[in-house]
Amino acid sequence: MTGSQNSKGLEKADRYYKQYGERAKELKKEGRKIIGYMSALTPVEILTAAGVAPIRLKGFMDEAVTKGDAYMESIICPFVRSAFDAAVKGRFGFMDGMVLPHQCDSIDRTNEVWSSNLNLPYWHFLNVPHVTGGPSIEFMKEILRVFIGTLEKFLGTKITDTAIAQAIKAHNENRRLMRELYILRKQNPPLISGVEMMKVLVAAMSLPVDESSALIKSVTEEVKKRPAPADGNRKRIMIIGDQIDHIAIPEAIENAGAWLVVDDLSIGVKVYWPEVDETTDPLQGIAERYLRKLKIPTTFVGEGDTYEENLEARFGHLKQRIAEFKVDGAILFIYKYCDPYGFEVPAVKSYIESGGTPVLYLEDEYSTSTLARVKTRIEAFLEMIA
Amino acid sequence: MAEEKKRRAVATKTAAGIPKFVRGNLSATLKAKEEGKKVAKAFIHDGHDEIMRAMDIVPAWGESFSGVCAAKRDAEKFLQKAESDNFSRSLCTYATCHIGFEMAREEQGGAMPEGAPWGGMGRPDMILGNGQLLCDPRFKWPQALQHYLRDVPVFVTNMYYPPWDPNVDHHEQEKFYVKYCTEELHETVKFCEKVTGKKMDWDRLAAVVDLSDKTWDLFVDTYDLRKAIPTPMDTGDAMNTMVPITFNIGTQEAYDFYVELNNELKEKIAQGIGVADPEKYRLIWAAGLPSWFALNDFQYFNGKGAVFPVEVTYRDHEKIERLDLPKTNDPLERIAWRWVRYWTHWYDAARKIPGSTPKVARIIEYFEDYKCDGVVFHSAFSCRSWHAGIIHQAEVLRKVYKDIPILIMEGDIVDISSYNEADTHNRIDAFIETLEAYRNKQKN
Amino acid sequence: MTKVVIVSDRIETALIGPTGPEHRKLANKVMEEALKQARLRFEDLSYIVATGYGRINVPFADRQITEITCHAKGLYSLLPTVKTIIDIGGQDSKGIRIKDGKVINFVMNDKCAAGTGRFLEVIADSLGVPLNDLGKLSLEASRATPISSTCTVFAEHEVTNQLANGESVANLVAGVHESIATRVYSLVRKLQIEKDIAVTGGGAKNIGLVKALEGKFGSPVLIPPEPLITGALGAALLGKEKWEKARLDGYTPTRSKEGLQEAKLFT
Repeated sequence: MTGSQNSKGLEKADRYYKQYGERAKELKKEGRKIIGYMSALTPVEILTAAGVAPIRLKGFMDEAVTKGDAYMESIICPFVRSAFDAAVKGRFGFMDGMVLPHQCDSIDRTNEVWSSNLNLPYWHFLNVPHVTGGPSIEFMKEILRVFIGTLEKFLGTKITDTAIAQAIKAHNENRRLMRELYILRKQNPPLISGVEMMKVLVAAMSLPVDESSALIKSVTEEVKKRPAPADGNRKRIMIIGDQIDHIAIPEAIENAGAWLVVDDLSIGVKVYWPEVDETTDPLQGIAERYLRKLKIPTTFVGEGDTYEENLEARFGHLKQRIAEFKVDGAILFIYKYCDPYGFEVPAVKSYIESGGTPVLYLEDEYSTSTLARVKTRIEAFLEMIA
Repeated sequence: MAEEKKRRAVATKTAAGIPKFVRGNLSATLKAKEEGKKVAKAFIHDGHDEIMRAMDIVPAWGESFSGVCAAKRDAEKFLQKAESDNFSRSLCTYATCHIGFEMAREEQGGAMPEGAPWGGMGRPDMILGNGQLLCDPRFKWPQALQHYLRDVPVFVTNMYYPPWDPNVDHHEQEKFYVKYCTEELHETVKFCEKVTGKKMDWDRLAAVVDLSDKTWDLFVDTYDLRKAIPTPMDTGDAMNTMVPITFNIGTQEAYDFYVELNNELKEKIAQGIGVADPEKYRLIWAAGLPSWFALNDFQYFNGKGAVFPVEVTYRDHEKIERLDLPKTNDPLERIAWRWVRYWTHWYDAARKIPGSTPKVARIIEYFEDYKCDGVVFHSAFSCRSWHAGIIHQAEVLRKVYKDIPILIMEGDIVDISSYNEADTHNRIDAFIETLEAYRNKQKN
Repeated sequence: MTKVVIVSDRIETALIGPTGPEHRKLANKVMEEALKQARLRFEDLSYIVATGYGRINVPFADRQITEITCHAKGLYSLLPTVKTIIDIGGQDSKGIRIKDGKVINFVMNDKCAAGTGRFLEVIADSLGVPLNDLGKLSLEASRATPISSTCTVFAEHEVTNQLANGESVANLVAGVHESIATRVYSLVRKLQIEKDIAVTGGGAKNIGLVKALEGKFGSPVLIPPEPLITGALGAALLGKEKWEKARLDGYTPTRSKEGLQEAKLFT
């Protein structure tokens, strides 16, 4: 790595955003094993404990899906299709293996398409449950043990409880640092823009945890030191969705004259807020975080004696973010063909609106070709809440 | 096109008795209250049948309701109702059709919406879902429904089975999967007890599981009769005859239906009566739910001498002895073993052929047993669960088996607006030509 | 299509310019024409607002505002009792809910031709009927032929087949109007529809389509005197509002500083 200590944080984030996987390629040359994964449900603590360099897969919104269409149906989630297309085109050719967690139909029903077309030395499908009761926590620990077993076999090393406990500490610290950066967005105007933040989130998910933490720290320092932007009179927007990982979306919001101040994305708040409890059996803490603390539509939350209580259990965190970050409007950005998020739209929309916050629901494809439509709607929404 | 309501003719007399089953299931939900029974909105193949039947819970099959709306080409108004509250058109149309129906009913203060087919379906007292490896709508649809039926409790079980991995012997994981399923089923029973106010009669449950096991066996034996040449029954009929074992499993009526069907098929075989005369091509319907509004397409195939003696869809059963289930006194554990062993049944066969997958191993088994000439898949755009991976299956099949004629048809299960009959018939015609050409090539 | 509206304390002029691929570059030409009609010079204009798809191609505009907000403003100024607006344009259709002239909710369909003027154009073309005659012709229909395809291309096939089977052109046109009205109703009912309902855009000039919409919405609808200019009118009124507020607050609003010129489009 050349001059990395001198690179400013935002510049580095920009570089890792634009050249996605750059660092993984370097690490591979140094002899590290690279394991790709999808979704917020992959227990990255296990990968870190195993000593591999994990990298979260992304798609490329400005590239049309071409090669992937020969193998994967077009009724699959457009984000998964884009990531798959990138993978079969060789964008992640540095991977030694992949982990796919059971998030949704678009992932679990295409697992074989991925594994047979990429043909990597290591492959694992982690059967994460959809519900959160006692039996599910026990089951989760069993499948985590199986997962660890396959990694040990592949790497020829033992993954100890101590290693996992250390990894848990490192990832919790990483989350804490990212939350500190988020705090700078509570100000008006926020000290870091939504566009810049997107680059940081994407860069972070491509790096091993210690490098990710270092990057976040340097960005936070840099942002604190620079003069605050002037525009204090803009509307503050929150974006809600799964994996939105292209700056075109925050750009559409911020170029229309608003600030994107917080999110509930699977590469953002969803993963950085909940931590793993440091339990005696580390797998207990991991199971609890991934099943109960992570709030994601593919995990069924059945709590509450009344429907209203159930809504609070499912979505209360959204109202908390809205209050903490003084959000003026929320954008629900859902991909077409997405059952888990799509079926929740009426409930989420009415829940947020009941708190007095206007909501713009956008259904879109994972593509920059439809950006003009998205921009018009965002602009009209901002004109409406002005 | 919108006006053609050709009566779908069935080849077997027994299959003609199916509408009675479907109507009976719907009207049972309307009569339940006065009979002191609870209604559960439930899903087929979710592990819940025996529990419901043993507790006299009347299932309200949302999927059946939507299928009926689709077959009558009358789903649009319900789909639009759901759309009006921001349910995307790209979601599972079984779900959005039924949700639209419930939305309409609630809006009218409980009055049955106009045009609800066959008298409509009763309002549920509880909603059962399952977060399994089959289909996300099975837990999102119950949850979404509750937004409009806020007083109705929802319970989601989680019935998993070991995922396919060519490098892993799944038998090593069976025990903890069965333990998990069993525990989840026990939680489900607790929920049902709470809603019904009645305790489970475990002996009765054991008897119901016995009956459903027997029905599985009879069903497979009966369908195996279709191996005869010419075949006495094809998939067009099977999309009807699947009703009892799918929606009424655990009841004597379901068992008796297959006794009747079995007898009828034996008679036809004795008389040499086939679905098509002459029977030129035997095809396997290898995956995909049919377009319920276009079942006539099977007759179009038959008209060209092509028949479907076997299908994968709705044949979610195997001979119990082949599943080799361990003995247990807990009827829920029996259900769990049957579940896990059935869904992993073709893993061992798949592992024997490098590059193969369980679904493909199953297709090959049926292709050979039923002496088929070609394979047809149907890809429905609103159903990722059953239709994602069809391209892959076709490819693997060609690679590990042989280069047989394969057709992938496209459409939807409920939404008719994307269906084009002329186009579909053209594709079928072209496929028949492919079959002919392949046969000629084999001869030379 | 490019439209220009110039307002002072009244509408000075309203002009509908030509269509065509080059019209993107020619906002200035239509503006020149409008100024001539109003007997004004470019320098007389205090503030310019651009709206619609081509709003980014008007270099001399001082501000861009979406069509949603502009239609709401324009319609409200003409028909103040309106609470729900349905805009059926050539390329999209919209539903807008307004309260005291302000947008409180909106829905758009701009992905799919079904439910837009494009659908009508395609069918009119294949039936050999001029677009402007569709409305009157459909009133002669004995029934509205049901058309089940929502895809414009499939629907065209359906229509051609029906024609070959002897169905009358009038019935088919009525059927197409029904189809569009169904799609539009499906879209707009996502809002809490409240009367008075108004229809604007090119679709409002088609009497047959308007009748079909009234049937679907279960209520008579209002039509502004010239449906094609409500967007531009709204844009002008919003510009006027901005300029007057600025004057009251004691400053001059920022202007584009571009003269009347062609858009420079990147190729």
